[in-house]
Amino acid sequence: MSRSLYGRLAVNNIKKNAQAYIPYILTCIGIIAMFYNMAFLTTAKDLGSISGSSAIRNILSFGEAIIGIFSVIFLFYTNSFLIKRRKKEFGLFNILGMEKKHIARIMFYETLCIAIISLGIGIGAGILFSKLIILLLFKIISFKAAFGFEVPLTAVSTTAMLFIAIFAVNLIYNIYQVHLSKPIELLKGGDVGEKEPKTKWLTAIIGTICLGLGYYIALTIEAPLDALNIFFIAVVLVIIGTYCLFTAGSIAVLKMLRKNKRYYYKPEHFVSVSGMIYRMKQNAVGLANICILSTAVIVMLAITFSTYIGMEDILRTRFPRNIILTMGGVSEEQVATLDDIIEKQTAAAGVIPKNTVRCRFVDFYTIQNGATFTAEQMINYYANNRAVIYFVLLDDYNKMEGKTASLKSDEALLYVVHGDIPADTISFDGLELSIKERLKSFDAADTIGDRLVDSYFIVVDSMDTINRVYDSMNGNGTGTLEFSYYYGFDVAGGKSVQSTLTASLNKAIKDAGIDIYAECVEGAKDDFYATYGGLFFLGLFLGILFIAATVLIIYYKQIAEGYDDKKRFEIMQKVGMSRDEIKKSIRSQVLSVFFLPLIAAAIHVAFASKIMTKLLFVLNLTNISLFAACTAAIIVIFTAFYIIVYALTARTYYKIVS
Amino acid sequence: MPLLEVINLKKIYTTRFGGTPVQALTNVSFSIEQGEYVAIMGESGSGKTTLLNIIAALDKPTAGDVLLNGKSITSIGEREISAFRRDNLGFVFQDFNLLDTFSIEDNILLPLVLAGKRYDEMIGRLKAIAEKLKISDILMKYPYEVSGGQKQRAAVARALITRPQLILADEPTGLLDSHTTEGLLKLFAEINDDGQTILMVTHSIKAASHAKRVLFIKDGEVYHQLYKASLSDEQMYQRISDTLTMIATGGARGE
Repeated sequence: MSRSLYGRLAVNNIKKNAQAYIPYILTCIGIIAMFYNMAFLTTAKDLGSISGSSAIRNILSFGEAIIGIFSVIFLFYTNSFLIKRRKKEFGLFNILGMEKKHIARIMFYETLCIAIISLGIGIGAGILFSKLIILLLFKIISFKAAFGFEVPLTAVSTTAMLFIAIFAVNLIYNIYQVHLSKPIELLKGGDVGEKEPKTKWLTAIIGTICLGLGYYIALTIEAPLDALNIFFIAVVLVIIGTYCLFTAGSIAVLKMLRKNKRYYYKPEHFVSVSGMIYRMKQNAVGLANICILSTAVIVMLAITFSTYIGMEDILRTRFPRNIILTMGGVSEEQVATLDDIIEKQTAAAGVIPKNTVRCRFVDFYTIQNGATFTAEQMINYYANNRAVIYFVLLDDYNKMEGKTASLKSDEALLYVVHGDIPADTISFDGLELSIKERLKSFDAADTIGDRLVDSYFIVVDSMDTINRVYDSMNGNGTGTLEFSYYYGFDVAGGKSVQSTLTASLNKAIKDAGIDIYAECVEGAKDDFYATYGGLFFLGLFLGILFIAATVLIIYYKQIAEGYDDKKRFEIMQKVGMSRDEIKKSIRSQVLSVFFLPLIAAAIHVAFASKIMTKLLFVLNLTNISLFAACTAAIIVIFTAFYIIVYALTARTYYKIVS
Repeated sequence: MPLLEVINLKKIYTTRFGGTPVQALTNVSFSIEQGEYVAIMGESGSGKTTLLNIIAALDKPTAGDVLLNGKSITSIGEREISAFRRDNLGFVFQDFNLLDTFSIEDNILLPLVLAGKRYDEMIGRLKAIAEKLKISDILMKYPYEVSGGQKQRAAVARALITRPQLILADEPTGLLDSHTTEGLLKLFAEINDDGQTILMVTHSIKAASHAKRVLFIKDGEVYHQLYKASLSDEQMYQRISDTLTMIATGGARGE
């Protein structure tokens, strides 16, 4: 056979299977374009010249890796679906006298054809869109856009190499599939797998346990940074649980429904329940994929979106005041010097400090057990029961808050920033202080207190008392305690005012020989926007990719099912089922198949919400209602998108069936 | 009054884009009495299946009418047609048309479930019929697990379970081997002896020779009919065979 014949056959085959291949090629083009763009952004020169670009680059290369891995899995999955449907065709070729090596050659030309089209258009589209994408990125991370247009060769070659490799792997898999099978099996290829699925109780139970455990972990987690570690375990458990329950659990439930004769033998349940058993058998893994993808998309977008939207909140949490100075191991003279410097420099800059917070304190890291505290060398954010105690002298407190409180040496005033001390006497490894009063408000404490663990402010009469507490907890009298000092204030004025003032403050402090820096919120803003904006961009990018993937999985499922169901519904019509009843039955089944993953995803997200808020806490976002609103908005948008896809694909389905 | 009356039935298929219309049925009239067993014979393309589809209310005639118990089935609306079909007609098809997602039992019960019958009643009817058709032991199996003959018995059971006025069989022996065919035809005869009216479309002479009356269709018209009366199956076979030869040679015998 001549070479051109293979080529012609290959092109014809693709045309003939357009209904399946056009979406496949479009997906390839889309994924290639997206991958190219990610590869482009990580190497783009425009990005190199701006501050915070290394953070962005890290985020983007992470994204590139994710898209790369995703492309491999997803294109392999789609391809295996296509080849399953085409086995019959290859069987026919085989029977008509074509050898398997000839079929392999046709497949090679087909793959070549698809690869050339996809890579050509994909990279082309990627290059076209790259400027738009980089502008969008710059807009999100508040960078000034640069002029010019670049096509980094490394990005083009990385993309081409990755996808040529993927196409090659798929081709090898396809050839292997055809090679393995006998012609008669090839002819029947589309028809196998009609056996009724067995109930896999063990899998169903494992799934339930995994899911329950994952949910339990997600709900009971307390220490915020614990969340990071355990989040991973919970995610793995929930993924295992989802797969097990979709595959085995669904069938177990449906079979139980079928066992209930009075329920099962009703016109509205009979056809649907038995149909669903087969549908779940064929679709369970796909639906579990959709469910996990949807959950991932919603979680990712909710976190990145709310951090991006809540940027000002985050900055305010991280910088309770515009300008902040913090210093450990500070002496009485240094405090006075610092106060003096700040007063002079603000006056020189012509700004009036507002909302000033000044506090001298000694902080202890402790393990809390009820009202008893024992020493802990380092604060451990991963563990529970950790607390920070800030000791403040009574004189300082009275000055700060304008009070005239008095205390004996075994008395204390308590202000709880976060946590609870369930007694009126606090024990520091034996040494007891009785709580004279629980303070209702303490501005400085709210500003300074650690939010990630429990933190308490305790006002005592003298340095001597703090020393006794320290000795009691550490068991020796050698340690010398040092005060920390916190000075924060707001200034009216934008970035330039803040930067100049911070610079002059830092210069004066350095001249005075004190080793600290003043920080201003505007100085940190760029970095924050680069990081959180970059993450949001990545979330958006991956979100679109994942949604597109979901859409395609659903589309293929509908086509496959449509062909399977066509015959079934013809028979039912002959036996006496009306068109309306058939339509109703189709709708109820397709609806459940469609919305089961979405509902499961929403439940996953609901259970994950606690862990997510903890993670956001670590990221300095404490505005839970903002997060809730963002999550809800994303679920609504996602659902709306999902419904549109449902409507479009359901139409294709009806067309095939009727 | 006859059970089924087919009056001047005419069916013309027109293609959507104005192609040449095809006349499937020209003018078909016949009637079937309660308890009869009638076979309709004809070559491929003679209009047999079209006729059956119209009687089954799966298709509408271009002209003419079909009366079941004196009631026109062509005038039944789309809404009631399924219920009508379910309650009055039973179907047996060449390729069995069992649903692979249902067990044999559920396949047989399908029409009753669709009719909204109570479970106890369904099971009662099922037991009686399964015993009679000797399929009690395969009820829990699935269509892909049983033989062609058993599948066709299950299909017959599904047709009978609604206690229809008329059973319509479309090439019921088409996919069966000779031994199984014999069994099925015997079964049909038994059912008929119990008083069940059967209308069967076939081009198997053997199948037709079991019927009490055979109608021959050619070019969309009833061309001839034979009564079995007291003839044996073999004699009937010979007569049908002769008739078919005559039809095939255009009625020009003796030339």
